[in-house]
Amino acid sequence: MKLGRIFSRGLVFDNPVFVQLLGMCPTLAVTNSAFNGLGMGLATTAVLLGSNFVISLIKGFIPSKIRIPAFIVVIATFVTVVGMLMNAYLPALYEALGIFIPLIVVNCLILARAEAFASKSSPFKSIVDGVGMGLGFTIALVILGIVREITGAGTVFGAAILGESFIPARVMAMPPGAFIALGLLLALFNRITSKELNEL
Amino acid sequence: MREVIKLGLILLLITSVAAFVLGITNDITQGVINARLEAENIKSIEALLPEADEFIMVEGVEGDIIVEVYEGFANGNVVGYTIKTTPNGYNGTVEVLVGVTKAGEIVGVKIGQNTETPGLGTKIADAAYINQYIGKDITQEFVVTKDNPTEDQQIQAVTSATVSSNAVVSGVNSAGSLFNDKLKNR
Repeated sequence: MKLGRIFSRGLVFDNPVFVQLLGMCPTLAVTNSAFNGLGMGLATTAVLLGSNFVISLIKGFIPSKIRIPAFIVVIATFVTVVGMLMNAYLPALYEALGIFIPLIVVNCLILARAEAFASKSSPFKSIVDGVGMGLGFTIALVILGIVREITGAGTVFGAAILGESFIPARVMAMPPGAFIALGLLLALFNRITSKELNEL
Repeated sequence: MREVIKLGLILLLITSVAAFVLGITNDITQGVINARLEAENIKSIEALLPEADEFIMVEGVEGDIIVEVYEGFANGNVVGYTIKTTPNGYNGTVEVLVGVTKAGEIVGVKIGQNTETPGLGTKIADAAYINQYIGKDITQEFVVTKDNPTEDQQIQAVTSATVSSNAVVSGVNSAGSLFNDKLKNR
């Protein structure tokens, strides 16, 4: 597979959120603002990049019988490292994401890429796949965050963009709003991509 | 059997490398994290004793529910103390922070980390409950009452959260006896 294809697959055609519907827990839980979505997306990308790279490096060394525990150890290590660094240098984001940082370990997107791609591909391709999938995840979370922040609070990245007369729909910032926004975005995404694919 | 040992050793190797990486990261970040937590701690005790501009930890006074005590200074003179206590609430311990002047007047009470029932027990952190302590003499023994308080040492309990209210009272009381026994005559 060509590198560009690997990259764009994660970004658009196999987008983890909009197409594969992987990692729904952080997707729905932390996207009440664009900033939180961006933070969670980048943290997940960092973990995915690291775990994909390391797993593709040691894939020949791990017997297939114990590959799952081995993958989980690698992933958990990267998650803990990212969590510690965030706690030290980005405390505001660390507080906002809270319990969902350690929970990146069980984000099925990361294990899915380790199992389906990194354990069968070269380190370089695995990095490209990790960045593509990670950025696809990040973009989806930011879009979802922007939609929910505008409708739920009238702001984008904390900056007020709608006038004072706008009355925010609080439900959009709460859990039901996450499902509503994700459903509408999925419909929109399917509409756009199905058109493009038909034309190809 | 030999395969089990081989698989175990491979996992051991992987986890050892992981532990080593985590240890190094912890070494690098722990200092930064601790410095930040300490700065936040100082900030929260500053709010308890606004008069003071410098705080020094008092050693050797920790007890059953006394966690830490800071001595507050203004222009080099002692102006008061902040006492952190962790009495038992309805559901685990409740952090109760008390700010008291050198003369024994309560100037600040703050509820820190707790796992009280949301909407009931957590109301002990509301100003309506907390403000009952402000301005009172810490050396007296406070008691909880369910009726309107008629005496100075009576504190009206939060409705349907008597246990949580009791926890705050016992925190303040133990801060009071510590103040009486050790801090007053330092």
